[in-house]
Amino acid sequence: MGGKTDVWQGTLALMVLRTLESMGPQHGYGLARRIEQTSGGRLELNYGTLYPALLKLEQEGYIRSAWGVSDNNRKAKFYELTKAGAKQARKAVAEWEQATEILARFLAPAEEA
Amino acid sequence: MDRLRAQLRAFLLRLANTVAPGSGSRDFDAELEAHIALDTERGMQRGLTVAEARRQALVHFGGAESARQFYRNRSTLPWLEIFMRDLRTCFRTLTRHWVASLVAILSIALGIGANATIFAMVSRFVLKPPAVGNPSTLLALHTAPPGERCCNSFSLPLYTDLGARAKSFSGMAAYFDFFAASIGNNGTPERVWGQGVTPNFFSVAEMSMVAGRGFIPSEQRAPVVVLGETLWRSSFHADPALIGRPIQLSGRTFTVVGVAPAAFHGIDQILNAQFWIPLDTMVSMTPDAQSPTERNAHWLQVIARLRPGVTSQQAAAELQTLAGRMSDTFADGEKTSSFVFDQAGSLPPRARTMVRVFLAALMTVVLLVLAIAGANVANLLFAQAVARQREMAVRLSLGATRASLRRLVLLESLLLSLAGGVLGVLLALAATRGLASFHFPAPVPLELSLTLDSRVLLFSFLASVVCGMLLGMGPAWAASHPRLARALKGEDALAAPGRRVNLRSVLVVAQIAMAVILLSMTGLFLRSLQSAARIDIGFESRGLMLLSVDPRLNGYTPQRTLAFLQQLRDRAAALPSVSQAAITDVLPLSGGHRSDGFSAVGSPEQTVGSADLYVASPGYFHALGIPILAGHDFSNEPPDAPPVAVVSREFAQRMFPNSNPIGRHIKGPQSDFEIIGVVGDIKSRTLGEETRPVLFRSLAQTIARDPSAAGYTLVVHVNGNPASFGEPLRRIVVTLDPSIAIFNQESMEQHLRSAFFLPRLSATLFGVMGFIGLVLASSGLFGVMNYAVGRRTREIGIRMALGAQAAALRRMVLRQGVRLAVIAIVLGWPAAWFLAKLASGYLYGVEPHDLLTFAAVPPLLVFIALAACWLPARRAASVDPMQTLRTD
Repeated sequence: MGGKTDVWQGTLALMVLRTLESMGPQHGYGLARRIEQTSGGRLELNYGTLYPALLKLEQEGYIRSAWGVSDNNRKAKFYELTKAGAKQARKAVAEWEQATEILARFLAPAEEA
Repeated sequence: MDRLRAQLRAFLLRLANTVAPGSGSRDFDAELEAHIALDTERGMQRGLTVAEARRQALVHFGGAESARQFYRNRSTLPWLEIFMRDLRTCFRTLTRHWVASLVAILSIALGIGANATIFAMVSRFVLKPPAVGNPSTLLALHTAPPGERCCNSFSLPLYTDLGARAKSFSGMAAYFDFFAASIGNNGTPERVWGQGVTPNFFSVAEMSMVAGRGFIPSEQRAPVVVLGETLWRSSFHADPALIGRPIQLSGRTFTVVGVAPAAFHGIDQILNAQFWIPLDTMVSMTPDAQSPTERNAHWLQVIARLRPGVTSQQAAAELQTLAGRMSDTFADGEKTSSFVFDQAGSLPPRARTMVRVFLAALMTVVLLVLAIAGANVANLLFAQAVARQREMAVRLSLGATRASLRRLVLLESLLLSLAGGVLGVLLALAATRGLASFHFPAPVPLELSLTLDSRVLLFSFLASVVCGMLLGMGPAWAASHPRLARALKGEDALAAPGRRVNLRSVLVVAQIAMAVILLSMTGLFLRSLQSAARIDIGFESRGLMLLSVDPRLNGYTPQRTLAFLQQLRDRAAALPSVSQAAITDVLPLSGGHRSDGFSAVGSPEQTVGSADLYVASPGYFHALGIPILAGHDFSNEPPDAPPVAVVSREFAQRMFPNSNPIGRHIKGPQSDFEIIGVVGDIKSRTLGEETRPVLFRSLAQTIARDPSAAGYTLVVHVNGNPASFGEPLRRIVVTLDPSIAIFNQESMEQHLRSAFFLPRLSATLFGVMGFIGLVLASSGLFGVMNYAVGRRTREIGIRMALGAQAAALRRMVLRQGVRLAVIAIVLGWPAAWFLAKLASGYLYGVEPHDLLTFAAVPPLLVFIALAACWLPARRAASVDPMQTLRTD
């Protein structure tokens, strides 16, 4: 126990959207770091899947990218949430909240029995 | 919705990137580099050396190559990429073996072309709905006389009563098929055919008009007309302002109210009607017609529109009930009649079976051709699969999967057959144009043109795809299962050692067997054409010029019509080089004519059930070269004198087998006749018929009492080329009355050409198919033998080195080829024998088991097999033993 967890299927997109929503435009490395930090170091991202996931979000029109310069003057590709992306993020959050709430009922200790 | 749009957007971007790759991968490399650099920097901030920080960053990132792969897969559509790569590979392979590819494409093109052509007929005559609104709910109603399954027309009272009672239909309309009128708009008058319809006809048909409207209920007797688009274009320059304006129809003024689309030329799709007028208006224009309200005058066609929600079964049940209840409405003797219906626009019930059998026979034949072509291509592909064993084995050894090899080979055969299909459709386009030159014999104009419509194109496409799949399956399996060790050594890995029968030989045998069937059929139909040409039609075909007019369409009274025709005849006879001129109504061999039943006056048991009725003026028999066997010709009998008739020998023999018919009286449905003459038999309706009894009435005596609905024809016998008399004859008509329309101006030979329609059409179709089949089968045999010799070069070389003679080797190859042909003939001949029986209905004067045909086909095929094997045999005999033994 206490080991690092892989990112569940389908949750990476939501994490990316939420992170971009809270942090604003960000490059891929920064995003990865931030997601790992947010998880309190408990998630281990596979970078090989992060970039295709970013590409997918971009193809779907939820984020857009542009080359820019990082804090320490390095050329990097920055990702930014689009309007559709913000809407999608809200929707996904609502869906997840509902899903976890339902699941929580099953996971709660059986008191009423 | 949003989600779907997002996915579609992603798909399109990936598609675009697949077709035209952008700078995505270089971009991604830069992004990866930035990622590593950022991570390295962070490591250095933690105090690591540059090298160590970069090493850790790389480790942390994991496999860059697999990340690139993931990225690539996401930025494009991988399956499409693989497909396009396969396509390129196939294209390269096919163009490398371009001769084989070309032969395969041509074979399939011939097969698909033949199928598309015949299917165009099926589509046109069986599948195509009429050009009305919602054709699926429009029915054509018929009455079925007692004890018969089909079909008769309606009488007016029956139509009216049924229309008032039937609840299953939202509307019911009636029409009369064919009514001729002359339209004399600008200069030359023209005879056109139209239909008389009840005013609700166009609304029941739910037709959308090109211009104007259909009839309205108040126009029941009004002089109004709806024109067909074709007539509107040809005679009125498609003038949109014509609506509401008057035109002249047979000398009467009609107001044009609408224009019907060109695709609509009558409900039944075969007649070529070009105008429509209200039924009662039409009746008033033909005062001498049978009383339209008679219960035993069956003259109306009826269409009915199913009420929404009513099924055709419910309608059938209601009609059955009504038929029982309405017995008072049927004519005497038909009390137990019933109603039947089919989809409006289907083939006329009487012609249906014959047309369907004919089309089914043709479809079978063209499928045979396609099968022969397919066997050819399968053989070619097999040869290629064998030749490529080594390539496939190498690919497999290098890690290709068997599935991917199969996919490649299947794709190749699909490409070949699709290319063949495209070419085949082009061939069919030419073929349908060619078929348009066959003129079907009929007393009224028909619309039989063929087009390659969407159904034909879909059929051709599906046939090509199925063909490609079937043809590719065997070779695909073979190609993906090479015996690796043997194949890599360059040996034939498909030919299992010691197996005597191989698939390629089986295919060739099947091919030749099918060619036997095709050739036998072709032979039969060619012999049929030959014997049709020898049929004694009973009258002269040379030196006759014909020209038809119908003065009644111009409002001529019977007296004036008779005077006009007599003047026409006299003036034509006065032309130089004209030896005889006569008038009739319709010429023999026009595809069918009126017939009536007769009995002898005084002895009613002596009858002729159905005799064809014609009209003749004096001199007619002489002009046509029909011998007068007894009695005498007509001689301008007074119109109101007791009617006289001239009968054919067949008529005389049936009615009065043992006595002299001259002077005897016979009773017809309308009047009695005195027989004044007996003439030779003629072919009356069709070439193939058994001799029919024929009765000629006097022209002068019928013009008033029973005028011809198809007009009158001037027959002129000339010394010289009849065609050169067309213009002088035309001028005579114009001088007599310039407003009279002239039609059917042709020589007797031209007229007879259409009488040969069926034998000519079938002989042409089968001739072409047989030839194609023969070419394909012999090229298949050639291919197989040539291939076999090529494979056995080494063996043959060894035989020669051991002392075999070139002639013996040649014989060996020929013997093998001929053996295949003989096996095929033994298999195909009985099948052809059996099928010939089915074709017997379409043969003229030829037994279905015609000896000449069935005796000639086998030797012909053996001869062709020998010819096909000749080159391979020579090749075998010219093998240089030294050279073959040195290779490998």
